[in-house]
This record gives sequence, structure tokens and C-alpha cells, in this order.
Amino acid sequence: MSSRRPLKEFVGDHKTAIILAIIIIVGGSVGTYFVIDYLNAQNPEKITLATTTSTYDSGLLDYLLPKFTEQTGIQIKVLSVGTGTAIQYGKDGNVDVILVHSRSREDDFVNASLGVGGVPYGIYRACVMYNDFIIVGHESNPANLHPGENIITVMTKLRDAIDNGNMTFYSRGDGSGTHSKELALWNLIGVDPETRWKNQPDKYSETGEGMGTTLLITYEDAEAAHEGYTIIDRGTWLSLFEQYTTLKILAESIVGENYLLNPYGVIPINPILYPHVKYVSVCRFVGFLTSPYGQDLIDAYRKNNQVLFHADFGTCDHDTACTTTADEITIWKPYQIEFADLTV
Amino acid sequence: MPNEIIEGILEAIRLIFTFDPEVWGVIEVSFRVSLTSTFLAALVALPIGSFIGLRKFKGKNEITNLINTFMGFPPVVMGLLIYLLLSRNGPFGELGLLYSTSAMIIAQFLLAIPIIMGTAKAAIESVDPILKETVLSLGANERQLWWELIKHSKKSIIAGFLVAFGQAISEVGAVIIVGGNIRWETRTFTTSIVLQTRMGEFGMAIALGVILISITFIVNYGLTRLQARVD
Repeated sequence: MSSRRPLKEFVGDHKTAIILAIIIIVGGSVGTYFVIDYLNAQNPEKITLATTTSTYDSGLLDYLLPKFTEQTGIQIKVLSVGTGTAIQYGKDGNVDVILVHSRSREDDFVNASLGVGGVPYGIYRACVMYNDFIIVGHESNPANLHPGENIITVMTKLRDAIDNGNMTFYSRGDGSGTHSKELALWNLIGVDPETRWKNQPDKYSETGEGMGTTLLITYEDAEAAHEGYTIIDRGTWLSLFEQYTTLKILAESIVGENYLLNPYGVIPINPILYPHVKYVSVCRFVGFLTSPYGQDLIDAYRKNNQVLFHADFGTCDHDTACTTTADEITIWKPYQIEFADLTV
Repeated sequence: MPNEIIEGILEAIRLIFTFDPEVWGVIEVSFRVSLTSTFLAALVALPIGSFIGLRKFKGKNEITNLINTFMGFPPVVMGLLIYLLLSRNGPFGELGLLYSTSAMIIAQFLLAIPIIMGTAKAAIESVDPILKETVLSLGANERQLWWELIKHSKKSIIAGFLVAFGQAISEVGAVIIVGGNIRWETRTFTTSIVLQTRMGEFGMAIALGVILISITFIVNYGLTRLQARVD
């Protein structure tokens, strides 16, 4: 104990100095963080991307972005949220670029009349890739779906099975791209699920969660009561399905129909509206994604030996009946040149 | 499911001892943010809280109620408020601090203040009034009395600090909104666990949980030892 005496005396003698030192150390370090974060926010070589859980949680961006950084030195911070949130972050000017999947809202995003005072939130949009949505449920298939059925039959069977109390449909209910796709599919047969099955969570249940969590909830229900169904993008499904052994794909896109296709678009935030966005770096990023090199990288990405995304810049008119393909090619061509010599 | 818990514990041990850079990065961000914000809050809240405890004045009850209410302030609402303040079209948008550790520190600092303030106030008030009178009768001025009372209630004050730290390190709602869960930068234990669960990596999520609880235990153990020593 005697060894502690001098320390105690030292503390006693220098009370004020010690308190001041603590204040200076804590205050100084906090100040340093603030300055560093402030400088990072100004650094044109650090851009922020808001994207959907399906591109991030599937591992695609962790595979793709280091290759872009290696080539250009530009670092990308990724916010993995739903499409609805990503679009809102873009509208608030809190990110530099968005990569999302909800075509109608993307078109609104670049529509001048829906922007601020005639200035759109984003100037150009580019198709990057697509995958497709599938409907999964318990293997006993209470809704009696068969392969090759068209989307109207599938949705009608689901509606009837829900009405009869044979199944529960789990909706994201979070304004995400998947959620808006699901609502559009119900709309094909004139059903508004939120009013038709209002307050009946045993029939139609809104999880308010991301895709992974919603699939987990569906699986738990399928295990317990063989009733859970949900709609999911194939990318997320392929990265998760091995754990959910009793869930099976019960409906998927058939030839000649594109209702279940899921195109992803990239949009830089408009620098006229938000002068702080790092537009030049963002355009190089879009150039990378849409260049033959970036497109080959996307096609080459595998998870559990499965292809998750199909690159479709320049071919989206054919793949997903996109109408702006020619414009996109013209606009983004100059930005693709710096990646021309690279191969996968 | 029990398999995943055992797997998670083994994974936790592996990650820690192989010095996995990602996990150590997450540890670093979590503790940097939580400790900084709690210390900073203590610097502000301790003097004010103890002062409120020491003095009797008009409106003290109202202030006490206010502090107690804010002790239970929902972190996710705090996150939303800080988001709106730091958002580019908000009042402090030009600083560009959203999605940085600074934003997380600000949110947790504001959440910790009422907790430390409330416990400091209660600690000072609960000191035996006889001690107070004795100190005053020995001719102490208010500043000396204040210092004596702080010394006597060290234990409760440290306990308040520990509660605030515990809340900061385990909090997820505010830090995921203002920090954005950005890999290598603003990803903490809790936001990482959310992500791993979403990705179906339950083993990894449990592993992070185990590491978080272990480290928090060590920190608390250290501070509790300190608490015992100060007597």
C-alpha cells in the first residue's frame, strides 16, 4: 500500500492540473475527430454511395468497389439501406450517388418537374444490371403454385390462398424496391393488400425489416405452420437459401414476361442542387460500373457458385424493355474510356 | 440454434486471437465513440448535476423532472434529430459530419448527459446532511463543500458513468442512423450484429456479441475495482 502513497499525494497536490489535463485530452481528441471528419467530407476522393441491402448484403459491392479504388484511388463509403431510404438520402443531398432498384421512383428522381424549383435531384440515370424476383414459400406449397404459370395466375392463387387462411404473405412493408415491386404485382390483379387484409397479420404481415430478416421470419412461420410466403430478389435468396431448407422457389419469371425482372439503376446526385457533391468522382464511378470491365466483373461475380446479377448496360432495351438505352450509352461513354484497357 | 451459439463462441475466440482486422476495427470504433462521448458528457454533466444537487432553488423540481425524463430519451429519436440537424439541407449540413464518428459521438454525448447529470445530482443529495453541516461548521465555503460532497459520493458518480457507458456501447438505433454502419469507418458492434443477422450469418453475429460482452465486462471490472479503491 505504501507504494500508492506518493501517487495519492501527487494527485492531491496537482488536482487542478490533472483535471485540466483530462479536459484538454478529451477535448483535444474530440476536436481532432471533428476536424478529420470535416476534412474527409471535403475530400473529393471519398464519395458516399447509398444502395439497397440486396447489392451490399450479397457481397457484390465488397467485391466490386476495391477494384474501382485500385484503379482510381477514389474510396467509396457504402450505406446499405432500402431503396426508399437511399432515394431519400439522395434527395437530402447526404450522399453523392445512389444505386437502387425501383424504376418508377428512379424516373421521378431525374424528372425536373418533381425536383426542387425545376431542378431534378439527379441528372442522368444508367442501367447497371438486373436480377429477378422469385416467390418462395414452404415446400408443401399451400397456395398450389405450379412452375411456368403466368404472373396473373400466380397472384390470383396467392390471393385466394390468403383469403382462405391457407397461407401468410410476409411483406417488407418498408418502402423498399422489393416492397414497391410486390405492391405493383398485387395491383396487376387489382388487389390493395394493405386494405384487403388490413389488421390481419395471420394473412398479410408487414415485417418492416430488410430482406434477410423478412426471409428469416417467413422461414420461422413456414417451419411452425407451413404457411409463410414472401417475395425476394434472387441475389439475396441465393446468398441465404442454404440455411432455410424447407423454403422452396414456388414461382419465378417465365419467358416473355418481365414483371418479375429487377433492374438496378445508378444515379449521381445533381451538383446544381447540391454543390458539395463530388460529381467528377461519381461520374468516374458510373463510368466504371457501365464500362465493359465493370460489366464483366458483375457477370463474373458468384456466391455459392451461383450468378447473382446480370450486367445489362447498353442491352437494357432488350433485357428489361428499357426505353432510354440509346441516351444512356451516349451520356456515359466518355466516362468509360479510362477503364477500356482493363480485363477481368 | 444452440449449435450456432457454440459456433459463435468458438468463432469469437478465433477472431480475437487471430487479430482479425475487421473485428479489431469494429472494437476500436465502438470504444472510441462510446468512451469519448461518455467522458465528454461527464465533463459537462458532472459539474452541473452536482451543482443542482447542492443548491436549493426555485424550479428545482421542474428541472429534476426534466432530467429524469431525458434519462429515458429514446436513442432512435435522438438519432433522427441529429440526422435532421446534420443533414445537408439541415442547419449544420455544411459541416458534412453526417455518417462519421463525430456524428455518433454527438448523439451519444447528448444521450449520456442526462444520465450522468441525474446520477450526480442524486448522489450529492443523498449524502448525509450531518456531514454537510459539519463541513460548513468547520468554515468551508460553497466550493469546498461541493468538493467534499463529490469526494463522498464518488462511488455513485462512477456508477452513473458506468450506466452511461453501458448505454452508449450497447446502443444501436441512433448510431445506425447518424453513422450509417459504414465498413471500416462507422461500423460498431451493435450495427455489425444487425448487419450479420440480416445476412443470415448468425454465428458471426453471436461471435461479435460474445466479444462485446467480454470486453464490456473487463472495462466494468476495471472501473469497479477503481470504485472500490477510491474509498
